[in-house]
Amino acid sequence: MEYILTVMVLIGINVILATSFNLILGYGGLMSVAHPIFYAIGAYCSGLLAIHLQIPVPLSILIGAAIAMVLSFGVSLPSLRVSGDYLVIASIGFQLGILHVINNLEFTGAAGGLTNIPVLNEGPSRSLVFVLLIAVVAACAVLLVGWIVEGDYGRAITAMRNDEEAFSALGRNAMNIKIVLFAIGSGMAGLAGALYAHYFAYVTPEQFGIFTSAALLTMVVVGGAATTWGPLVGAVLLTTLPQAITFLGLPVSIMAPLQGVIYTTLVIFFLFARPQGLTGGSRGGGGLEAWSASAAFRARRRAE
Amino acid sequence: MFEVQNLTARYGPLVAVNDVSLSFDTGIRMGIFGHNGSGKSTFLKCLVGGVRDVSGAVDFGGSPIVPDQVHRNVMLGIGFVPQVQNVFPNLTVEQNLHIAGSKSDSSFLKEAYALFPLLRERQDQLAGDMSGGEQQMLAVALALMTRPQILLLDEPTAGLAPAIVKNVLGSLLRINSELGTGLILVEQNVLAALDIVERAIVLKGGRVVFDGASEELRAKEDLWAWF
Repeated sequence: MEYILTVMVLIGINVILATSFNLILGYGGLMSVAHPIFYAIGAYCSGLLAIHLQIPVPLSILIGAAIAMVLSFGVSLPSLRVSGDYLVIASIGFQLGILHVINNLEFTGAAGGLTNIPVLNEGPSRSLVFVLLIAVVAACAVLLVGWIVEGDYGRAITAMRNDEEAFSALGRNAMNIKIVLFAIGSGMAGLAGALYAHYFAYVTPEQFGIFTSAALLTMVVVGGAATTWGPLVGAVLLTTLPQAITFLGLPVSIMAPLQGVIYTTLVIFFLFARPQGLTGGSRGGGGLEAWSASAAFRARRRAE
Repeated sequence: MFEVQNLTARYGPLVAVNDVSLSFDTGIRMGIFGHNGSGKSTFLKCLVGGVRDVSGAVDFGGSPIVPDQVHRNVMLGIGFVPQVQNVFPNLTVEQNLHIAGSKSDSSFLKEAYALFPLLRERQDQLAGDMSGGEQQMLAVALALMTRPQILLLDEPTAGLAPAIVKNVLGSLLRINSELGTGLILVEQNVLAALDIVERAIVLKGGRVVFDGASEELRAKEDLWAWF
């Protein structure tokens, strides 16, 4: 039972992460892969505040999320100058740089990780209560993103993603939208990290590297980028699938790389066979098609 | 009134516009011509602050045009229609117009539909599904939604069939006469554009080599030698 509840906690955390990543990458079209570092910032900051300053855990969780939100400027500011492939590179640099700092500081636990993080709640029903909490937070995350992308602001986000130059030519400020998307998305990732830290009581730098970026990207692509429910579906699927294969009883030497193979295969399959993801519509309904629409559109206009 | 003084624009080591000084009223119909790489599109972008590395000064109605601040500069009353990336393909026609209108006066939507009745018919269609000519109409309508005093258009007829070119240029002429909105056109289609502009500028190597009445340019026997 405890195992199932732990998997449900992981699903909830991944729903928050994938949903917030989708806001930045799917809806905003901002090609940043540094999302896990804000997950790390939330986890480490909240954990450190609770350990060293004895700040109550609920408050440290909120502060951790707020710090992640503020540090999102580290990626949103480069995005004002660079986009596409260049933003991917800038965001990887930001992610690896912060991870390197975490890896080499004594008070963060360095490569060994941060241990003895106070847990949010205790008692015999600890995991069950936490599952309920994380379910509520995950639902709020999905509804918040759904609310943001509806209406005038959502159309402005779509227009900015379609074409920044045309968007600016209409007197609209793309910079503000980028900063808001990164701040909200990163704050949500920080919240997920803080919740993780105060449930598992232990975090290590290797949990927040490029592999996590790939996992989140897979969740968004498989579920459906730029859709409300896609990241939720992707997170549930991509969290339970690796757990399911552990029951196959395969040797560790096969199990370890198998997860990476699954992610890669799924991304490639969906890129070619179903770019709109599992939940995207067939026309203008999100997914990679929505992502790439402006690029394909411009190419067609140039060809004409 | 646009005042351009000693404008020089660079892309790295490349000088695209070289020490250009011009002035013109907002109600003017002016064409900017030149061969590929002559700096005409860059010059147009400079008028709205779309080029970062510039020296010299551009003023519009007494306000300086700040480089790299297109979204602020257009609110001074300048409409800018980029060459290709000028509509939002994932949004419907009406949603496109609301994006523009939400920053200014959305009541102008009715006037935009009156100017382009086709857009009213297609208001629920995705912009990405429209033909090139229809998209160009939408792009012009988008720029008009910001209620500009002057419209800057970068090759508005590029890639369009001759009949559509006539239609688009006719619409622009109507906008000028009915709304009093000035037109600055960068065009490769020189003869068609000369029909609707009153002043012509020819750029070569980033410098102005001709500045005069459109009829004067049309009358030049060696017209094509300029391009």
